[in-house]
Amino acid sequence: MIQFFHVSKRYPGGQTALDDVTFHVPRGEFVFLTGASGAGKTTLLRMIFREEVPSGGQILVNGRNVSSIPESKIPYLRRTIGVVFQDFRLIGRKTVFENVTYLPRVLGVDLQGQKRMAYLALRRVGLAHRLNAFPPELSGGEQQRVAIARALINEPDILIADEPTGNLDPDLSREILRLFLEVNLRGTTVILATHDRDTIQRIGRRVLTLEGGRLLSDQELPGTDPPVLDPLADAEEIASSSPTEPLEGPSSDTPAEAPE
Amino acid sequence: MSFLRALRYFCREAAVNLLRSWKVSLLAILTIAVSLFIGGAFLLVSGNLAASVERWRGEMRVVIYLRPDTSEAVLRRLAAEAARGPGVAAVEPVTAAAARQRFRKIFPGLSDLVAGWQDEPLPASLEIGLDSRTARLPAHAAWLDAWRKRPEVTLVDDDREWLGQLETVVAVVRATGLALVGGLLGAAIFTIASVIRLTAYLHHEETGIMRLVGATEFFIRGPFYAEGLLQGLIGGVLASGALYGVFQVLHARRQSSLFSSVLALDFLSPQQMAFLVLLGGAAGLFGAVASLRREEL
Repeated sequence: MIQFFHVSKRYPGGQTALDDVTFHVPRGEFVFLTGASGAGKTTLLRMIFREEVPSGGQILVNGRNVSSIPESKIPYLRRTIGVVFQDFRLIGRKTVFENVTYLPRVLGVDLQGQKRMAYLALRRVGLAHRLNAFPPELSGGEQQRVAIARALINEPDILIADEPTGNLDPDLSREILRLFLEVNLRGTTVILATHDRDTIQRIGRRVLTLEGGRLLSDQELPGTDPPVLDPLADAEEIASSSPTEPLEGPSSDTPAEAPE
Repeated sequence: MSFLRALRYFCREAAVNLLRSWKVSLLAILTIAVSLFIGGAFLLVSGNLAASVERWRGEMRVVIYLRPDTSEAVLRRLAAEAARGPGVAAVEPVTAAAARQRFRKIFPGLSDLVAGWQDEPLPASLEIGLDSRTARLPAHAAWLDAWRKRPEVTLVDDDREWLGQLETVVAVVRATGLALVGGLLGAAIFTIASVIRLTAYLHHEETGIMRLVGATEFFIRGPFYAEGLLQGLIGGVLASGALYGVFQVLHARRQSSLFSSVLALDFLSPQQMAFLVLLGGAAGLFGAVASLRREEL
């Protein structure tokens, strides 16, 4: 699914962001990307959706060489990748509906189709009842869930998250992480960058650790507290809520809470 | 995404942007409207002047003034000779006595000026009507030069001389108009480009998200191009409307004003109006494209 072969990134000033990074993420895997600030996590993620171009090496995403695809093909690559940021990147003057339906509009989906897609995506993050709200009216956790819904609206192959819980308190962070695990259970490959070692230790998954632009380690962690965030407990419920269900109108679901 | 659907999206977004930042948009629209109004005014003035020149050309004539002692028999002979000249439509021989009577009739208050003279005060003449299609031929000019050299002739008064000067005025008006419109349109394009750049800056966060989710450059820039086009078209329509209003006022006064009677005879043709509006649209679109050409939105 995602393959990095000896990837390097050097900026014109001489600063090295990535140095000879090689790894492979198979389809459907959940990977934590960790490291101190400035380790190169964001640069690595940005390379996956061609926001950055490597100075050396090759990157394959879904079998396509991302570093050499023409500019005109980049939008088509990005339509298969959902991206979530620490600062949510929502447009405050647009409603939740308008914020999550950027991609359907780009794809030319009619209004009815956009409503249906928005409803399904927002229902997955427990915010189907806030379609007409504006981002400033939402809490930080809700805003991040809207951003996740925007990333998920087209059922992407890959979901990339750059410090998605960096601006949230521990409870909300747990809630957001649970969402990513649920998304991964549906088969989406997730790469989540965080410097929160405690969360990584608790959940336990494959962890890529960067330091000074180099891949320091690539290890599988078992997780010390899997029941808290392990979504397998909800797998049946998740599997039953098919994303192709017909639209039934706004839901009054309350946001999903992580079980204590 | 189908082109028509994209076009509808561009227009809707452009209209929203126009309304959202209506003050700067209005500035851009007015700038282009003023430019096109002035351009249209020059077009109108030069068009009406040219039409007047053409009309006068149809009425133009040459008057050959003869020596005071020219007899009526000679006058008739010369008239018959003149009638055979190139481009001559009609010849009217006017005797000295007829000229005096005509003066008295046209200027009754000045009739004393031509009374009490021992000889006729006004010369006999040949009034030659010209065919406007052939009067410009070189042969006609040579023919008139030959008349000037004849001993019976004292003066050849040729209407074509001042019509030629008037044509030069029309050409100058057109050139001035073109230069002025060029400059003003340049200013309007610059204003629209600035407004579009400002709008793009205000939306850079949104365009960043659109690029992130996989929008093509055409889809991202389309609304800005449509906004420039819309501003230009609205400016063109406003200019045409204002021009028509001013024309109507002048046209209503054409009986009492020489200025109005010459310059406000006919309004612009539908094709010229459409050209004015489309020119506005093209200027707006050009401004938008130029402003975003090197911009990373």
